[in-house]
Amino acid sequence: MTDNLSHAPAPAVTAASSGRAQNVKIRARGVNVFYGAKQALFDVDMDIPDRTVTAFIGPSGCGKSTFLRCMNRMNDTIVGARVEGAITMDGEDLYAKGLDPVLLRARVGMVFQKPNPFPKSIYENVAYGPRIHGLARTKAEMDHVVETALKKAGLWDEVADRLSHPGTGLSGGQQQRLVIARAIAVRPEVILMDEPCSALDPIATARIEELIDELRRDYCIVIVTHSMAQAARVSQKTAFFHMGRVVEVGDTETIFTNPRDTRTSDYITGRFG
Amino acid sequence: MTDARQAPSSRALIERSLKRRNAAERRFRLYGVLAICVALGFLALLLGRIIQQGHSAFVAHEMSVSVPLDPSRIDRSYPAGANYDLMAAEQVGALLGISPTDEAALTEVREILSPDVGLQLGEQVRDDPALIGQTITIHAPLGDDADQYLKGEINRETLEAQRVLTDRQLDWIDRLEARGVISSALNTGLFTRGDSTQAELAGLLGAIVGSALMLLVTAAVALPIGLLAAVWLEEFAPKGRLTDFIEVNINNLAAVPSIVYGLLGLAVFINTLGLPRASPLVGGLVLALMALPTVIIATRSSLRAVPPSIREAALALGASKTQAVFGHVVPLAMPGVMTGAIIALAHALGETAPLLMIGMISFVPGVAEGFTSAASTLPTQIFIWENAAERAFHERTAAAIIVLLAFMILMNAAAIFLRRRFERRW
Repeated sequence: MTDNLSHAPAPAVTAASSGRAQNVKIRARGVNVFYGAKQALFDVDMDIPDRTVTAFIGPSGCGKSTFLRCMNRMNDTIVGARVEGAITMDGEDLYAKGLDPVLLRARVGMVFQKPNPFPKSIYENVAYGPRIHGLARTKAEMDHVVETALKKAGLWDEVADRLSHPGTGLSGGQQQRLVIARAIAVRPEVILMDEPCSALDPIATARIEELIDELRRDYCIVIVTHSMAQAARVSQKTAFFHMGRVVEVGDTETIFTNPRDTRTSDYITGRFG
Repeated sequence: MTDARQAPSSRALIERSLKRRNAAERRFRLYGVLAICVALGFLALLLGRIIQQGHSAFVAHEMSVSVPLDPSRIDRSYPAGANYDLMAAEQVGALLGISPTDEAALTEVREILSPDVGLQLGEQVRDDPALIGQTITIHAPLGDDADQYLKGEINRETLEAQRVLTDRQLDWIDRLEARGVISSALNTGLFTRGDSTQAELAGLLGAIVGSALMLLVTAAVALPIGLLAAVWLEEFAPKGRLTDFIEVNINNLAAVPSIVYGLLGLAVFINTLGLPRASPLVGGLVLALMALPTVIIATRSSLRAVPPSIREAALALGASKTQAVFGHVVPLAMPGVMTGAIIALAHALGETAPLLMIGMISFVPGVAEGFTSAASTLPTQIFIWENAAERAFHERTAAAIIVLLAFMILMNAAAIFLRRRFERRW
């Protein structure tokens, strides 16, 4: 029964009952993150289910982006950043000695706050990942990969006739979908989104949210958002972060209607944040 | 209501101070305009003086003279031994009504001519001995003193004893010019000849070729090393004491006086490594050392200008650090890198002091054949000519400066063009 639910384009109503039993894709236990001497995350435990949208909410500086970046080891690129604790994906330790972060980042795609297409053509933007990973051998294969990724990102119809135009010439919302297509083209298992709509207007935001809901069927999606309305709209699970700690994790429905912690209810009702 | 009576006074206060502030603003604008005017004035003075001194060197007087090659005066077995200068002087003397037996007068005629006349005659006879017995016409530059006289640099009013040319020589030059034997033309020799002790035969080709070879060496050494050093420091180096130390020292190196680099080149490249002195190779290596800090600093700042989001985008897709840097960051930084590199090279082109140390003030007649043969360069050529006694070298010095400035303006224009053309906005 749980299996059926996780694959159906489940309306949010069912999330309350389905969330608990889904396959755990990423499991975090006792995660502490330090930037130099400053500790940014304290003892984070979390199970992130597969083929579900998990939203991280919380006030600025609460550590939600930090935790997101732990899952594809982007924190490695920050000088002085240190991660303690265990994060596993499908049971595999992401911080194991032998694990190459390059391979991990091919399995865990990421979309950033500000659309950051490469200053190259639309085609080259999408083809870059598959090319460096050797995912397409011939030009025809690459064309197919690019087309599929752009179609999945809902951008194909808008750009099919101008693939050679620069990606930076698209509108903000189109750029963000291009960046999602670029991430999808590498065929990741998880897509991390760090406030993907914060630089977009409401119409572009709605399109991205629709897209996220479609992508949920194939990917494990984690989204950091400042908009509680967005978290309520797109996610099935929600985690509330405060001062570097996870205050509450649960089904989105429960968090928004019946939070256990007063800090959560205060934040949700707009008393702080 | 008391408040209301106090309120207008604040308005009055502001109005009063406003007048003062506006006056101050006008004054500062005026200072700015004055500063610009002074700077432009100096620039105009400098350029004006150089052009005024040097423009005449781009035109030179030349003479055509027909010389019958008398077989009795040329030894067929040793044609180079004949006194062609005298034969030419006799022909010019004949035009002026001077008897071939008046040796004193002929010696003075020879002083008007350039030794190039005799050299050309000798070369032509050597190449084709069949010319002996015929009459051939030679076009050659006029002697430098005569040329200076015709350009108005030598004044007839000066006492004869204080002039390089006698009254008689001046009359002859005037008559030759009136008869059309002497004419003025574009001084192509300035760009087709190497250096010479004879001012009228001295050209810049050797210096231009020498400078070009040297800059090639500089570019080939400084650009790759500077680029890689900057990329490593900016993108890969662990941030810490060591990298800070290296950074501080690179900045210090940019401020080291250039003559010190010359001493270093002399000690290391010439004395220790035994590379040939005064060669473009050694000069280029020394200038490369000088250009390195500039290239590194320019490259680092343009790498820093590439937004981190591009690096993140590539890394998040699973690109390795090297792929992200060389696939995305460096190409985007390239216009800035090229601009910095060209400016560093333009700076190196005009550098003189270190080249003096490695022996480039020696007199090099011909044109350098390769990177290891002795060569002259534009700035050292200017230095050498400036020290020469002949008046004609003065205008050539200024002309060489004009050529050097032209090359620099060209390079800076290229840098500006690259920046405009490839500059990216984020």
